[in-house]
Amino acid sequence: MAVIAVALSGCNAVNPPGTAGSARATASPTSGVVSQVFDSTSADSAATSDAAATGYPITVQNCGFAVTVDHRPDRILAIKSTSLELLLALGLADRVVGAAFLDGPVPAQWRDAASSIPVISTGAPSNEPVLGLDPDLIIAGWESNLAPDTAGDRGRLAAAGIASYVSPAACRGASQPKKLTFPMLFSEFEEVGRLLGVREAATALVAQQQEELAAVPKLDRRVTALWWSSGSDTPYVGGGIGAPEMVMNAVGLENIAAGVDQTWTSLGWESIIEDDPDVIILVDASWSSASKKMRLLEQNPATARLTAVREHRFVTIPFPASEAGVRSVDAARDIARQLAALGFGSR
Amino acid sequence: MTSTRIRLPVPSAPSVAEGAGENPMPATPRASRRSSRLRGGPRAAVYVAAATTLPASVLLAVGIGSAGIGIIDVWQTVVAHLAGMPSPLSPLRDGIVWDIRLTRVLTAAAVGAALAVSGAVMQALTRNVLADPYLLGLSSGASVGAVAALMLGVAIMPTVAAFLGALAALTLTLLLARSLGPISPSRTILAGITVSAFGVAVTSFLIFWNVQGDSYREVLNWLMGSLAGSGWATVAVSWAVTAVIGIPLVLGARVLDAFAFGDTAAASLGIHVTRARWIFLAVVALLTGMAVAVSGAIGFIGLVLPNAARLLVGFRHRLILPLCALAGATFMIWVDTGARTLFAPRELPVGIMTALVGAPIFALVLWRHRSRS
Repeated sequence: MAVIAVALSGCNAVNPPGTAGSARATASPTSGVVSQVFDSTSADSAATSDAAATGYPITVQNCGFAVTVDHRPDRILAIKSTSLELLLALGLADRVVGAAFLDGPVPAQWRDAASSIPVISTGAPSNEPVLGLDPDLIIAGWESNLAPDTAGDRGRLAAAGIASYVSPAACRGASQPKKLTFPMLFSEFEEVGRLLGVREAATALVAQQQEELAAVPKLDRRVTALWWSSGSDTPYVGGGIGAPEMVMNAVGLENIAAGVDQTWTSLGWESIIEDDPDVIILVDASWSSASKKMRLLEQNPATARLTAVREHRFVTIPFPASEAGVRSVDAARDIARQLAALGFGSR
Repeated sequence: MTSTRIRLPVPSAPSVAEGAGENPMPATPRASRRSSRLRGGPRAAVYVAAATTLPASVLLAVGIGSAGIGIIDVWQTVVAHLAGMPSPLSPLRDGIVWDIRLTRVLTAAAVGAALAVSGAVMQALTRNVLADPYLLGLSSGASVGAVAALMLGVAIMPTVAAFLGALAALTLTLLLARSLGPISPSRTILAGITVSAFGVAVTSFLIFWNVQGDSYREVLNWLMGSLAGSGWATVAVSWAVTAVIGIPLVLGARVLDAFAFGDTAAASLGIHVTRARWIFLAVVALLTGMAVAVSGAIGFIGLVLPNAARLLVGFRHRLILPLCALAGATFMIWVDTGARTLFAPRELPVGIMTALVGAPIFALVLWRHRSRS
């Protein structure tokens, strides 16, 4: 699995004018330069020296915005759990100068590494605290984290020498992935690895995740599911094109909201009851706990009759793992494990 | 403040006295001069139509939804429940009809009636056809109360908190309006807008401060009005409040008529003006508070329906209030049915629908009474 064909959507395509649209990231440092050739100078230097430190400047198209990183970023700000956790998975804790807007605790394996990273804001940070941190790169989980009323407009940040990168899975508008897949997610890890000069680490991470993903057992029959994130009057649920759909597909679950062309969507109770999902996946967040959602389901006389509620077929998943990121494969494994415990067979 | 005024056929829009002295009193209500007003048989027909449309709307609306359940099955289910017989549908579909659709339709009816009646009473008390729980700050005050109760965990029921918020906002609006000089429609509106803006800011602050992750979604639905949270509990609260307050209001409608002629005229009829005004205002605050606590802030119903009712049956509140209640209930049922089915399985906050439907209707009302000078 040395060569990963990167099925890039419009938003995260590496954008060297001289090369064709598709990019290839490889495990071998010497052949990896194909992906970021801009001019002969950088290509030459990348080919002849340690790939971790060179190859710059690198320009990528990110959510329709051209991001140029002209040196190895060493002062990184991570906004949202998915951003921080990707950096931790790449072993870059010492280059992260701050984190913000975290959705929940960091998983145990990275807790030590993350303990020294200051959290500058519990919500989306505004421009001044971000500038005060003097970062050279901001990695954000949502496009809205990089707006004039939050960390700052991307163009103005770039003018101030701060590069910015949004998880391509979270691109909106024309750059939004038509349907998120694991290969797209892995290409994001590779792209971040290139931007940060840690290509080997990214390639190793992807290889490990691919292996884990391949080992996730798939259900042996048709099982329908609802992925309920928040909202009680009108549930806010995973739709047909985002991370929830991708993770459910990986374990062989059929999403009852698969027909909605949105990452997340408001779904009326009536259509949920009509579809009567076999399993309900409850996102556990501090603001909307899985137990609260379970209680609501059991209290409402109409939802108490759902098969999944009567037979207590609930699967819970922490909120940070419900967004596309380095924990998505883990989310799939976790769900498969819980399904097996509920007595669902797999093949 | 004398050059622009809205010529509407109600005992309002004082033409001479505004800003010149206390309690401006129009000589005769313009209302009586309008030819579009119905009398006798046609007027009775309006009430028969309204009184039959409402139950018919309930029966039809429970038959509409994203789950394709035949209307006959739906009715049989409702009858079976009422008669204590086993439901003809599967337990799940039975739950959709009885616990989800019917509770939502019934709650919508009570909320629509309460908002329309609130608007009519506000318009009479302030002698201002543009008065409306939404415009005068009651809705935003109620939102502050309800959001504070929900988000900060204040240990009172959201309905009570919303009532207190509505009452506080109304008091502020009227005190502010009076401090600017004799109370006039434009001053009252300006004061209402001021209080409303402040209330919206406080609500937004509370939400901004407390919302995490994707929980803003829930709040968004709530701010724009939604009946999706209906259940038998909201049916009980909304119908109880609407009935307990609405029936005495209709019985006391003559007092409202007197207010329409001005405080002096009302006093000359033996009405304790100040006390009566505060009782009515508190009653409206309770109705609005209930509506906001149950369904969030929903605009335009309180503005549009009383004006439409007045067009049909004149300015006597014994006639206006029942028609407002019936028409408001019917209007809300259909607007909410649209909100939950037009984009099924997705849902639209109903406040968006009431404004989309209500604003053009109100523009039509204004246009029909455009200045002909």
